[in-house]
Amino acid sequence: MRYILRQCSVLQCSPLSSGLARLVSGLFTVPSQLMAFYEGIMFDVSQFIPPEVKPAPTRFRHGLSKFRIVIGKNCDNCGLCLNLCPFGVYQPGAKRPKAGKDFLCLGPACQKNEFYCIARCPKDAITMNPNPSFEVLGDRRWTADLLASTWYMAETGEIPYQGLNYKTGDSGGGFDKLRLVFPPNKALDCPDEDICLSLDLNRTGDERPSISLPIPFYLGGMSFGSVSINAILSRVRAAAAWGTFCCTGEGGYPDDLKPYDDHIITQVATGLFGVREETIQRVRIVEFKYAQGAKPGLGGHLLGDKVTTEVARMREAVVGSSLFSPFPFHSVYSVEDHKKHIDWIKATNPRALVSVKVSTPNDVDMVAVGSYFAGAHILQLDGSYGGTGAAPDIAKKNIAMPLEYAVPKVHKFLKEEGIRDNLTLIASGGIRTGYDVAKIIALGANGVCLGTADMVALECLRCHNCESGRGCARGIATTDPELTQLITQDWGTQRIINVYAAWMKQLRFILKRLGITHIRDLVGRWDCLAHLDYIKAEEIEGELE
Amino acid sequence: MNQKHIAQAIIDSRARLVEKTKGLPVLPLRTEAEEGGCGVTGFACNIPVGGRHIFEPSVQMHNRGNGKGGGIAAVGLEAGKLGVDQNTLESHFLLQIALLDPTVLKELEDRFVRPFFKIPHEDFVPTVDDFRDIPGLDIEPPQVKRYFVQVQPDVLAKFQLEKNLGKLSLEKAAEEFVYQNTFRLNETYYSSLGEKKAFVLSHGRNMMILKIVGYAEKVAQYYQLDDFKAHIWIAHQRYPTKGRVWHPGGAHPFIGLDEALVHNGDFANYYSVSEYLYQRNVVPLFLTDTEVSVQVFDLLNRVYGYPLEYIIESLAPTTEMDFDKLSVEKQRIYRQIQTTQIHGSPDGPWFFIIARNLTGEKTYQLIGITDTAMLRPQVFALQKGEVEIGLICSEKQAIDATLQSLAREDPRFGTIADRYWNARGGSYTDGGAFIFSVKESDSGNWNLTCQDKFGRPIDIPADRTPLDFSLELKTFPLKATTAQKIRKGLESGKIISLYSSLLGSIEKWDYAQLNNFLDHLIALAKEEKLMEGVVETLTLLLDRRYPTGTKRRRSVLQMVTRSLEKIFNGIPSLTQEKGTPFLRIDYAHRLMLRAPEAGEKTLVVDGEQFPPEGEDCDSRLVVKAYELGWKRFIGYGYRGQRFLGCGLGPDTKGVRIDAYGSSGDYLASGIDGLEIVVHGNAQDQLGQILKSGKLVVHGDVGQTFLYGAKGGEVYVLGNAAGRPLINAVGRPKVVINGTALDFLAESFMAGDPHNGGGFVIVNGLAVDNQGNIIPQETPYPGANLFSLASGGAIYIRDPHQKIVAEQLNGGEIVPFSEKDWQLILPYLKENERLFGISIEDHLLTVDGQKFPPSQVFRTVQPAKQTVLAGGLDEWE
Repeated sequence: MRYILRQCSVLQCSPLSSGLARLVSGLFTVPSQLMAFYEGIMFDVSQFIPPEVKPAPTRFRHGLSKFRIVIGKNCDNCGLCLNLCPFGVYQPGAKRPKAGKDFLCLGPACQKNEFYCIARCPKDAITMNPNPSFEVLGDRRWTADLLASTWYMAETGEIPYQGLNYKTGDSGGGFDKLRLVFPPNKALDCPDEDICLSLDLNRTGDERPSISLPIPFYLGGMSFGSVSINAILSRVRAAAAWGTFCCTGEGGYPDDLKPYDDHIITQVATGLFGVREETIQRVRIVEFKYAQGAKPGLGGHLLGDKVTTEVARMREAVVGSSLFSPFPFHSVYSVEDHKKHIDWIKATNPRALVSVKVSTPNDVDMVAVGSYFAGAHILQLDGSYGGTGAAPDIAKKNIAMPLEYAVPKVHKFLKEEGIRDNLTLIASGGIRTGYDVAKIIALGANGVCLGTADMVALECLRCHNCESGRGCARGIATTDPELTQLITQDWGTQRIINVYAAWMKQLRFILKRLGITHIRDLVGRWDCLAHLDYIKAEEIEGELE
Repeated sequence: MNQKHIAQAIIDSRARLVEKTKGLPVLPLRTEAEEGGCGVTGFACNIPVGGRHIFEPSVQMHNRGNGKGGGIAAVGLEAGKLGVDQNTLESHFLLQIALLDPTVLKELEDRFVRPFFKIPHEDFVPTVDDFRDIPGLDIEPPQVKRYFVQVQPDVLAKFQLEKNLGKLSLEKAAEEFVYQNTFRLNETYYSSLGEKKAFVLSHGRNMMILKIVGYAEKVAQYYQLDDFKAHIWIAHQRYPTKGRVWHPGGAHPFIGLDEALVHNGDFANYYSVSEYLYQRNVVPLFLTDTEVSVQVFDLLNRVYGYPLEYIIESLAPTTEMDFDKLSVEKQRIYRQIQTTQIHGSPDGPWFFIIARNLTGEKTYQLIGITDTAMLRPQVFALQKGEVEIGLICSEKQAIDATLQSLAREDPRFGTIADRYWNARGGSYTDGGAFIFSVKESDSGNWNLTCQDKFGRPIDIPADRTPLDFSLELKTFPLKATTAQKIRKGLESGKIISLYSSLLGSIEKWDYAQLNNFLDHLIALAKEEKLMEGVVETLTLLLDRRYPTGTKRRRSVLQMVTRSLEKIFNGIPSLTQEKGTPFLRIDYAHRLMLRAPEAGEKTLVVDGEQFPPEGEDCDSRLVVKAYELGWKRFIGYGYRGQRFLGCGLGPDTKGVRIDAYGSSGDYLASGIDGLEIVVHGNAQDQLGQILKSGKLVVHGDVGQTFLYGAKGGEVYVLGNAAGRPLINAVGRPKVVINGTALDFLAESFMAGDPHNGGGFVIVNGLAVDNQGNIIPQETPYPGANLFSLASGGAIYIRDPHQKIVAEQLNGGEIVPFSEKDWQLILPYLKENERLFGISIEDHLLTVDGQKFPPSQVFRTVQPAKQTVLAGGLDEWE
């Protein structure tokens, strides 16, 4: 608990009491009718009705803001600022207004507006300063701006207006140096609905079902044990609402997930924890996890502290004892073993699609071809930018090929082999925004798989302490029964739904600017991208995003 | 002449050869295509046999290749078929060149063949007229030109002079000339070109290689080798991941000089091995790890002059406790070998099969070597008798297929080997390698012998004669008293007593008498009420170990198997009959499957024609039948069909499957309640994630047995190969009567055995040639037992306390308690019932004396590991 308090005091916010959390949770529920529809077996993508965006405010009294608004003693509580601010930064107070939602403030950019409260305050009582907490927030990849903008999207389902950079981070490479290039005079002027974002998962032409998603992504595996049941259910329910899938990760298949079977990808990972025939038979997609981009060659690990009675029961292991998933599968040391492995799952569930998740070694193109010929429907390339706190830094920062190299490499090789159209290529690892989605698809992926973005939607701070102790100050990566209660399922579900709604808007905006009506036509369009390390902005024909 | 100087001279002589490539970044960072897996097979026989017999195992392992590369090698050929006399065959290099672009032939010959060699015979390798006549062959195999050559004396003299190889004997110099000439030819017409034009397939003496783009057996068909005879055949199904392959340059086997090597696996250190070779002036041209494997072998063999044992040590070093168990003298040598050669030692999963001709010794050898960690599947088998054969394969079922193919042509071969076993990689026990040598004796007879890495022979006692199945056996009616006893026994339903009462007779009977007895049983099986009892009796004769008198056990098993198959084949098809307790279904009638009707109990599945996997495989049929209401299954005639018992879903208690024949990989994986019995040896990956139910194997099991298992009761009569029960959790209860090669129960997490958790009982027993149950040399030879385990326990029968703390990495040995005994006793009783391994006479009796359980068994339990435990202990 001391640890949690320390975290909180640094960031000047405090968790809601559990009573309050319950109160908040009552406000956000997905209509049961809609849920029933989402739980239906097959989707007709064109008939898909996106879930409703509803406000899902922060659980904490003060949302983290980029700027701090302070109202000084000389305020006479005239209430002008309350009326002026169109963003709702101010709430009425007894002595003076409170700037309780300063994270909604536009910041210095507001100066040009006639409603700029600081200039208009008759008593000069309002001051605005950068928030020191904001400056220490995040990291190069997930900058404070990206975190704050994702939180805003999770609250509102809207693209932020506050002058936050919601498109790129500050890593100095990768997605942060890639820019979409909007060609002149190509922009489409059509309603958003005319832009299709659907993704087909079975392209092999075999007899197994075709599964189409209305959005170009699904949610990656986070095991029961690494994150709380409420975090899992929030993700699963959001996936169901969006007509897509969420992977179980390697921690078993909690019974609570059963109502969402049609939206679950069950994972067969190297420890085989919680994998049973019935869980394989229950789902429409089975994923083999060979490796994670964040820690290729290291298998998986769940340290003793997180192996609570419940986690141990689910995995049928020993309470309090660290669990290791070996690397690799002990039964798979070659491509023909791999085929046999896939054949086994196919024999166990004759209707399921098979996804193979691999990291990005330098021969990833060969791995891709091998997986295709072994019978995989989906190949997921997990690049090195992803991974939460539990993956060791030395691994996260040093192994595996960056995703933006791996994806085009595989795309090109599959094309040369004449099988590109028969395999669904999913990219994952470090996809943070709708812009990242567009970039990686333009590099050659068909769609993406998400993880950390969901965590951020649930107000993850990127504090990188997921593995230690009982986990998470924000009640996400924890199995502690008390900490788990920091999140309610309905709130979490809505937050994730909202983020994706905002991403859809981003993606449709991008596609319209590119003059593309279906996202599948963006696949492998390298001409839509520029890398700022290799080309000067002035040499680019067209407009940079 | 000092070998050191010879080695240096040869290496130096190659300097100019690789000069072109020096200084350039030529060393490939990786192989051209990943190929990891593949199916490999080989056999050595004391009589030459036709190429058609390599066909069967190749077909059987289709699913280990993808039809994008196949190759075969033959050693110990027939001179007549090649158009030369025996002397020419033995004394001349047999140069075979694959012409990808036939127009280069003249130029190639003028540059690399005619100026250097005497060529007493040359010819094109005959092929079928049109490759499209062979179904499944999409790319025309290359034309192959064959030359019998000897280096012209003046050419050789000049070569020796120029290359400073005067130290070498003429023969050694000629070998090196051929080697270097081939290198230059390949460099010129293959590796330096974008468009490959030609390459040397093989150049060794009395051996040849052919390869194609396609499955290996198509080689035999296309090049008309069905009736071409050789002592040793090896074949390889390739699984290159690169999709478009237009020529077979990358297919196995690859050559050194007089050896051909096929490889199943994938090095992690291809670059390192290439660099090691480069430093010794050897450069890979074909960019596969198989090529560098044989280059290393040739370097150690021909250049360094290592004996085979040291070559094997260089490739698969002896490590950990196995090293400590070696004699001091061996340790000294091995340490030096490891220090010197470790960089050329392939790291990662690999398994080599090598066929070679020891010229001058009139010996042909077939060698199988596994990597130290045993990461690839491998089975060895030996059959002795009038005809003798040693086999090495990725899967046991492919060995059986080979034997069946041979037996069809020559009934002196049996369909079952005398012995099947796995090698323990880098071990002090067998060194992870076995060598079959076919040698001509002074009397002109050819004999087959088998040795392990250390030269210890593997043999089958000759005092029991196998049956020559070509002989007509006398038939006569069974003695009336015996017949009566059998009928009474069958009617009483007490089959085990009937079996026991027959053992004395079975030992005394000759083959004819046994045959009559079996025929009698077959006849009785026609009576509906006796059928089940007959099958049960025969099954006991198949499963149990018992004295066979002067008869060879494998011949007895072959006769029993044949009888069972006759009975099963005689069962009415489910499409024809109704209401009988046993009904049969086969592949042709699979779509006519129907629900059981009144009185129909057992569905007998003729597995032979089913594909090994996919929607049409027999495991899917069993699932469909189960969904229709069938509960009792007998499967027979298996040839490696996979996934039997998988997919039936949860709560299948009451279902039982009996599997006869060569059942395949992944059997019983994921079962939840049902019972499955394997009559004979089983293959790899059995019982993955097994949840509950019962698995009984009347033989050995292969690799990664019960990986990630959650529960169930499992009984194994024989041994388990590498990595059994890795990552098993929950409550599996397992009895292994033999032992495991290594890594037993690594990361075992099966709770507290005294509180519902799981455990493994290892009895460390074997069955000798007389059918007696005897202890193995050590109950567990591996260096890793129960590593990093956090739950469960191992109860090991170890009366002489041979298990030592060094074998445990995270476990601890504690005294075997009365509580432990009470826990395992019910499972040992069931074990006794299943296999006849007696608690009193076999388990608790040591050297003829009875001991209490606490002095016979030992308990291995997890030691508290700080590395595993969390910082908080409040969860406990």
